[in-house]
Amino acid sequence: MKVTIKEWNAVAAWRWDMPDDDVCGICRNPYDSTCSQCKFPGDECPLLLGECNHSFHMHCIFSWLRQESSQEKCPMCRQPFKSKSQDAVESPNPAQTRTPQTNATPA
Amino acid sequence: MFASKRLGKELQKLHDHVPPGIKLIKADDFQEWLMDIQVIDANPLYQGETYRLKFMFSGNYPIEAPEVVFVKDDAHPIPWHPHVYSNGIICLDLLDRQGWSPVHNVESVCVSLQSMLTSNTKKERPPGDDNFVRYNTQRPRDINFVFHDNQV
Repeated sequence: MKVTIKEWNAVAAWRWDMPDDDVCGICRNPYDSTCSQCKFPGDECPLLLGECNHSFHMHCIFSWLRQESSQEKCPMCRQPFKSKSQDAVESPNPAQTRTPQTNATPA
Repeated sequence: MFASKRLGKELQKLHDHVPPGIKLIKADDFQEWLMDIQVIDANPLYQGETYRLKFMFSGNYPIEAPEVVFVKDDAHPIPWHPHVYSNGIICLDLLDRQGWSPVHNVESVCVSLQSMLTSNTKKERPPGDDNFVRYNTQRPRDINFVFHDNQV
């Protein structure tokens, strides 16, 4: 018997390589979900792992680090927050990826 | 936007479960919540009393700290504590700009305040309470507290 495949649809699921039930400590959304300001998870709303091994949505931790009062410390352990993955730091300028919402009135 | 999503999650969790001695009183919006706390061990300073906390959130919470004060009414006194002014303003590093971290939340602040009271033995107000209460016109978040006392 000869089978000819005329058409097929592949379906894939992805997740970050993170513990299952873990949430970002800042927005409390799951790591696999987005930060509070993004619509699409994944590369558009990546995670950032610190040298202290604490991770957050990149947008969340940047919002925090932009605050003067953060003194650029990790919200979890208060050590200076440095990103472990070099490319994530060098890629987009945080000030340009997100418009600061400091003056926005709560919805 | 930031604040409402995060507070929505906190609210859901508070409806499911609150730690002993903590009660959600009012959370009609994402600007102002009322929480009641009781000191559950046998500290005689706080026996049988319930204290009411008012949380005020900016649209940027939890990046910015909430403003948290004790509020006084007939059923809720202001607890005695060397870091709690008689108008309800609280001097606690984790509520201050320098001490706040966005991983804190309403529940963890309540628990911290509970434990701050639990460990206290002094029926005192902060030094200068009279003057501060009479002349202070600043909101809690605009006050620059100096943290000099690590004992209580």
